Amino acid sequence: MSAMKSWWMGFSLLCSVAAAQAVPWAVQVKNAAGQPLVDAVVAVEVRGRAAKASGAKAEMGQRERQFTPQLLVVQTGTSVSFPNFDTVRHHVYSFSPIKVFETKLYTGTPAEPVVFEKPGVAALGCNIHDRMTSHIIVVDTALFARTDAAGIARLDLPVGEHQLKAWHISRKTPTLQSQALTVTAASGQSAVSLSE
Amino acid sequence: MKLPAFLNLRRLEGRIVCLFLGLLLVVQLASFALIRNSIESNANRSIAAELKTGERVFRRLLTQEAAKRSDAAVLLAQDYGFKQAIGLPVAETGTVETIQDALANQGERIGASVVAYFDTELKLVAATRDDAPRFLDLLKNRVAQGDKPAAADDVQLSLLDGRAYQVVAVQVRTPAPVGWILMGFLLDSAALQDLRNLSELQGVVVVRDGGSAGWTPLVSSLEVGEERRLAEQIPAGQALFPADVAGEQWRGRLAPLEQGENYRLGVVLLRSFDAAIAPYRSLQLILLALTVLGVVVFAALSVLLARRISRPIKALGEAANRLGQGDYDTPIVRDSADEVGDLAEHFEAMRQGIRKQTEKAERLAYWDKLTGLPNRSQLQDKLEKQVAAGGSFALLMLGLERFKRVNEVLGHTFGDELLEGVRDRLQKFGATEGRLLARVGVEEFALLLTGADAQAAMALAEDILQDFEIPLHIGSHKVDLRTGAGIGVALHPLHGADVLQLLSRGELAMQTAKKRNCDSLVYSSQLDDSSQESLSLRSELRQAIDGNELRLYLQPKVDLRNGRIISAEALVRWQHPERGLEAPYKFIPFAERTGFIRELTQWVVAEAARAWRMAADQGVYLPLSVNLSTQDLMDKELPEKIIALTEKHRLDQNALCLEITESAIMEDAQHALGTLQRLKDARFKLSIDDFGTGQSSLAYLRDLPVDELKIDMSFVRDMELKHKQPNRRIIRSTIELAHNLRLRVVAEGIENAESWQLLASYGCDEGQGYFIGKPMPHEQFVAWLQTWQVPELGDYPADTTIAELN
Repeated sequence: MSAMKSWWMGFSLLCSVAAAQAVPWAVQVKNAAGQPLVDAVVAVEVRGRAAKASGAKAEMGQRERQFTPQLLVVQTGTSVSFPNFDTVRHHVYSFSPIKVFETKLYTGTPAEPVVFEKPGVAALGCNIHDRMTSHIIVVDTALFARTDAAGIARLDLPVGEHQLKAWHISRKTPTLQSQALTVTAASGQSAVSLSE
Repeated sequence: MKLPAFLNLRRLEGRIVCLFLGLLLVVQLASFALIRNSIESNANRSIAAELKTGERVFRRLLTQEAAKRSDAAVLLAQDYGFKQAIGLPVAETGTVETIQDALANQGERIGASVVAYFDTELKLVAATRDDAPRFLDLLKNRVAQGDKPAAADDVQLSLLDGRAYQVVAVQVRTPAPVGWILMGFLLDSAALQDLRNLSELQGVVVVRDGGSAGWTPLVSSLEVGEERRLAEQIPAGQALFPADVAGEQWRGRLAPLEQGENYRLGVVLLRSFDAAIAPYRSLQLILLALTVLGVVVFAALSVLLARRISRPIKALGEAANRLGQGDYDTPIVRDSADEVGDLAEHFEAMRQGIRKQTEKAERLAYWDKLTGLPNRSQLQDKLEKQVAAGGSFALLMLGLERFKRVNEVLGHTFGDELLEGVRDRLQKFGATEGRLLARVGVEEFALLLTGADAQAAMALAEDILQDFEIPLHIGSHKVDLRTGAGIGVALHPLHGADVLQLLSRGELAMQTAKKRNCDSLVYSSQLDDSSQESLSLRSELRQAIDGNELRLYLQPKVDLRNGRIISAEALVRWQHPERGLEAPYKFIPFAERTGFIRELTQWVVAEAARAWRMAADQGVYLPLSVNLSTQDLMDKELPEKIIALTEKHRLDQNALCLEITESAIMEDAQHALGTLQRLKDARFKLSIDDFGTGQSSLAYLRDLPVDELKIDMSFVRDMELKHKQPNRRIIRSTIELAHNLRLRVVAEGIENAESWQLLASYGCDEGQGYFIGKPMPHEQFVAWLQTWQVPELGDYPADTTIAELN
């Protein structure tokens, strides 16, 4: 019910900013069984916009033997640093095809951040601590968001034909699901049925 | 072969022993069977429990193994180097081989049969064996379980191509899931060996085609070859079953190693039944030994007990035997308080009773009632004993003459006193050791002198007769004992070894002495009719009967009142081939002495019956009288014999009258009375013959079952003469008295008309004598009868006679 309310609020907002060439757009992500998915990543690639960011920075810290955050969404070309806030050492690695790297047994922040040049999903782990896992989702756009408790992600999107990408941790393959998205002048919404 | 009493089931002892032992054996056998049963069921129960525990242990061993192997797989999955290898691009040369080597390396370490790596799409990436794709289905099962840990009792066994594998699968994460490591371990006997080391259980893992019955062994801890035999013994279901393994008894139980009804994989766990009950076996042996011991002890005890019971009974039996043999003097001792003791007491009472009775009977049988002296029977017994002992002795027979007369004249009481007096006189001579005084006849005494010879005997006889010179005083009467007394002596062994013969020879000597008036006489063979002579007479008599030399004569009897012939007396004559016709007195006394008289009587009765029948056939129905002797009366079968003859010749009732002499009755009154009564009961007419010659009184006749009295011819003969008046008186009073006793009176010896008339006037009923008719051959009798005419009696004055009498 509260989701409905906010949706109506969003809708009136969308009408008012139509002139600014961007309309608020809600995307609801559900799994194959129709359940709304929380913390799903929704990214919209707008034609003509730069895919790559340059000089963008992000951080995937390690605190109390956990990655923080455990899910990080960055635009392609972002350099991610891995500061270690624990006193113990960590051995962060990724064997994901988009970025294979390892930073062996370090404390503090490694000098070299890791730049993610390819879009996709990178699963990160620590060789010392098996239970430390996190994901870095690399997308070719700056427009991305994470779904709330109702499985809805909210974005301000320009009107036009776009490519919608979505990912959730429940997916077995380390790839984003892609589908077309048409944003009309009026604010609107789309639904994504995410396959596993 | 004679069994001892305690083995003989027909004896009390044997029965008691058998009963006791039988009971014991039944109880022992029952308890033995019960114990054996409970041992077996106990063993089965404990084996079942052991097998269940064993099954749990076996599962635990398998799950531990599975956990260990799973851990190994997990270790491999988490190995960083392995992760690095997986992270290599697959397309790159050497990547697959690298992964393969890593798998083989780890597999060798843990001893896996197969190790394979599949990607998340369950596509085989690398494996240690070429046939690894076959494990894909097993992997899929595992994947379907997800990351869930295996159930605690999941032994994680799977069947593949008839072989059992323990399969573990682990997901590889980098850290996202990238694939699966599968490890397969061919099931071997290690777990079963462990189980065998931990417990005493053996095991066989068996497999079958889905749902089918037959099991095939896979691995086992048994000796090679045994597992196949065992697999054949597995029944359907999971119950405990007996199995024969290497010649031993085992118990097995099948447990499934797969889920579901139609499991194809199972394990049979086995426990040796023989080993399980081995401890009880020695227990059973001890029990058996105890049983045997118990039976032996019990047998001995029961034999003793049975003896205790049967010994007093046997003793009683022997006591009863003694009683049966006539020993009434040994007392029967009661030696226990029980029922047998009671019985012994009753036996003792019986013994005393019998003894008393016997003594009484002996007194009756062996003692003379009147004088209190031993009687003839006792004397005979004593003589028998002496003869048997072989001792020599002399037998004195003393005969008195006066007693009969005294009895007749002075009465029985006086006679009794006379006898007692004689007894007292004789006792002086008989009261010495080795002597025995007995009363052997009415007026006969006998004295036994042990060890005496003829001389001593004769001396004693002289003494006795000397003593008899002194008259006996009874009341106011003086009785002369000496006159007519005679003593005969018979000696043993000189005069024979037969007691009866000795007695009769003594008697003969005595009679002869009396006849010759020579006081005393020792027996000699000359006194006999001479042995040779008597022997030949006997055979001649035999010949007389067999050779038909005897003739039946009939003497008519007349009714004195009307002169009619109303009956006849049957008499016997001997038509001797050499000596001619012999009168009865020539052979009857001899026949009486030798007992031949019975055959003679037999002949006379038969002949008389035949004669009666012949006469009856001619229309003459005359009763015939037949004489019976003492010997005849002794014959108990006499009445039956006579009856048989009368029936044979279809005689009328009363056709026969039986005449018995007075002395014959007196000789053995007891026997004679019995026979007479039986004859009387058979409806024969009975007559007392020769009345007046004996010592009986008329009062005595009252008790005899007779119908008729025959007055002896010695009274009748010459009665018409004046000097025979006393005879007339006797005859007359006898006739009156007889009539008072309702007896008919017959007079013998009528030789003239006077006698007839006199007798008729006295009321005498019948008469017989030469005046009426001599005895004649019976064939002539009917003819004679027809010529019979009542003779002219003359005119003898009867009343005069009566006046004279008065």
